[in-house]
Amino acid sequence: MLIPHPLLGLRDAQEFTYLGDASLIHRPDGMAENAAETFFDYVYLRDNPAGVHRELWFHEQGDRSWLVVTRDTTTHEILGAELARDVALAAKGGAQ
Amino acid sequence: MTDLAPMTALGGSLARAQSFGALAIAENADLALASLAQRRGAAQPVPMGLALPGPGLWHAGNGMAAFWTGPGQWMIEAPGRAAEDFAGAVKQAAPECSVTEQTDAFVAFEIASSAGAAPILSLLAKLVNIDAAGFGPGSATRTGLEHMSVFVIRRAEDRLAVIGMRSAAGSIWHALESAAARLQGE
Repeated sequence: MLIPHPLLGLRDAQEFTYLGDASLIHRPDGMAENAAETFFDYVYLRDNPAGVHRELWFHEQGDRSWLVVTRDTTTHEILGAELARDVALAAKGGAQ
Repeated sequence: MTDLAPMTALGGSLARAQSFGALAIAENADLALASLAQRRGAAQPVPMGLALPGPGLWHAGNGMAAFWTGPGQWMIEAPGRAAEDFAGAVKQAAPECSVTEQTDAFVAFEIASSAGAAPILSLLAKLVNIDAAGFGPGSATRTGLEHMSVFVIRRAEDRLAVIGMRSAAGSIWHALESAAARLQGE
């Protein structure tokens, strides 16, 4: 399986380690009023789709960047990869 | 007083070197290394006049070289300066960056071919899962070699460097030696 690294091109999936659903980027505010419920959701309640899934991969034996990889869980086809940093910044409206 | 003697990463008093047909592998004990990381929002530095390369690349100049290790991060190499405070010199040249001494964390092996690019390409294909044909002179990347993390640098058509964890020096030498010896037999 090859992962199209946005900076380095096609790289062997063996160089990467897998973390999980890309929604893990969006960590809730631990100081908020409803932190207990939102953290319960964040930690335990995860969709497990058969089909297209966005997930976090770490390029451990590489440039050590985190990627958001879009993968079809039924065929293992890799549909795209972006730097997780770019995804997180875009979610925050591009603010550094 | 205890009589202390310096030794190389492989434990010898002299750097190890061995030839396998057209390929010669040598431990490079004199290579100084320092990592350089750019702070967020800062401009890309030009330490000691050395232009820092982009992703997947290696660039030499001014008696030094640099290769890209991650977004905003580079490793700076200086041949023959392992006994100096090279990281200190880099920090002086790029005071706005984070610089860390790496010389004693890594071991470098230089591989030279006396028969052009072909033996280097065959060795690359045996060692690492990167596209050897697309890994031309000036390329550098970090990848896995027998479950160890190594930097591979194509210094020239007929020159390759493998830089890995110093504590794994013996295992990296074993991997290189085995691959080169098998190529010699083919």
